[in-house]
Amino acid sequence: MPIPSDVAVRLRGLTVRRDGLTILQDIDADIPCGSSTVIIGPNGAGKSTLLLCIAGELACEGRVTFPAFGRPPRMAYVPQHVQLDAGLPLTVLEFMALGGQRRPLWLGVAASVREQALRHLDMVQAAHLLQRRMGDLSGGEQRRVLLASALARRPRLLLLDEPAAGVDASGERLFWKVLTAARQEQGFTQIMVSHNLSLTAHYADLVLCLNGSLMRAGAPHAALTAPTLRALFGVPIHLYPEQCEEPDETCAQCGAHCHSADAPACTSAAAAPSASSLR
Amino acid sequence: MLEHLSVLLPDMLPVAQALGRLPLDCLQAAFMQQALLAILLLAPMTAALGVSVITFRMAFFSDAIGHSAFAGVALGLLFSLDPLFTMPAFGVLVGLCIMAVRRGSLLSADTSIGIVFSAVVAFGLAVVSRTPGMGRNMTQFLYGDILTVSPAELGFLALLALGLFLFAAAGFNRLLLIALNPVMARARGVRVALWQYAFAALLSLVVMMAVRAVGVLLVTALLIVPAATARHLARTAGGMFWWAQAVALFSGVAGLLLSAQSWLGTASGATIILVACACFLCSTVWARRQGHRRG
Repeated sequence: MPIPSDVAVRLRGLTVRRDGLTILQDIDADIPCGSSTVIIGPNGAGKSTLLLCIAGELACEGRVTFPAFGRPPRMAYVPQHVQLDAGLPLTVLEFMALGGQRRPLWLGVAASVREQALRHLDMVQAAHLLQRRMGDLSGGEQRRVLLASALARRPRLLLLDEPAAGVDASGERLFWKVLTAARQEQGFTQIMVSHNLSLTAHYADLVLCLNGSLMRAGAPHAALTAPTLRALFGVPIHLYPEQCEEPDETCAQCGAHCHSADAPACTSAAAAPSASSLR
Repeated sequence: MLEHLSVLLPDMLPVAQALGRLPLDCLQAAFMQQALLAILLLAPMTAALGVSVITFRMAFFSDAIGHSAFAGVALGLLFSLDPLFTMPAFGVLVGLCIMAVRRGSLLSADTSIGIVFSAVVAFGLAVVSRTPGMGRNMTQFLYGDILTVSPAELGFLALLALGLFLFAAAGFNRLLLIALNPVMARARGVRVALWQYAFAALLSLVVMMAVRAVGVLLVTALLIVPAATARHLARTAGGMFWWAQAVALFSGVAGLLLSAQSWLGTASGATIILVACACFLCSTVWARRQGHRRG
């Protein structure tokens, strides 16, 4: 009898090449069941490509397996944006019904689908948007509706491609908050591409630092170190000043502190806001 | 060839004759009864597809298919086949080719459509130009003439309408989901390629039948004007479908009946499109007034 695995997604030797160009090289990673995994990296690092490989959208070398499920689990995908033009009179209720009912929208939305849509919208604090047009929503509202629509599928694996890009700080914070609450309630595994390092540090269980190849993987505190972030983005970024391995006077956050006479170099968590202070 | 297949097609003549009982002088002629039935079958199909065409931003696609009618007819005349068979067959082939190029090429959609469009129009014109007298045959496809629709075509339209509404019932939600985001649609189990090719094939068939009614030059208008009008009037995506149906049917019937009046005497296809455009104008004014009220 096979032993149940706690690995939701296993990547082994995953490599993607397009037109002679290597986009992803030899990625090995285990993504635990029920975890919040965030993929970070600069533009062109292959983050979305990795997500599409996991979704089975892109052909790749190597293996993508789902040990905990045996076969590809029920997935939902939250894109960065949808092709919505403002003139399309698609209401939030209809959008929610698109994936939830076989009956065409022009024959109306079933009462049960409406009820279910309301419940999932409520989960993402968007129940009041039910009758609004999708094109009239703000960026933050639209992303939460997309999330609600994905949650309505009750996925085992939720893939999100920069789902809060372009949303203001409070909107993005709210998005992560409702996503975490939904994950805790539904118990799905979440893999998200994000550029928001501070929220990643706060909400992620596992961080994959990607730049063509996997540079580092681990818990936020272990993965989001100043050297790794500098190697990834080419600029000094300190999320955890106490992890600064060597004084860096070009760093805006701790450089001044490093030169201060009355404080030891880069050892005090008070030098810059730490991930824990963001909570 | 379509006439040879007519034994397989439903006989729509009794339905057309029943339309003659309407209290309108112009409907006493058999060709007008058949034309009215043709537009009653065609308008709901173009409206249903038009809603998806503007959501997919595929107006140029349908224009390209319409223009491939030249090449389809030319092929028929070249190989001594019935153009009424070669035209839709060639249209479907072109539609599927464009979809394949669009899906597989790095070129933008309008560039890939433009290339296929140019190739089929050039081919049609080349064949026409080297065959004396063929240009005359082409005129009816350029301007369209719904008054010459045959009983066999009516039977084909009835079958096509049935198939299309089954497709619309099964595919409306899926096509909308694909238009919003294909990856999201695939993650929800929608077979994106299958639905896209089926849509392209059906759209091509309907466009070719619409070419007979309003001509190559106006076929795109028959698809997009009712749907665009519906966008102004509808509050929901489902409502947009029904508004498009209402506008298409109203434009089709009113345009046909107006064109038959001796005081007007205009081409039926052009009159249908003019009525549809008038509806669009009214809807634009209404939408602006609503916008001001909301603002």
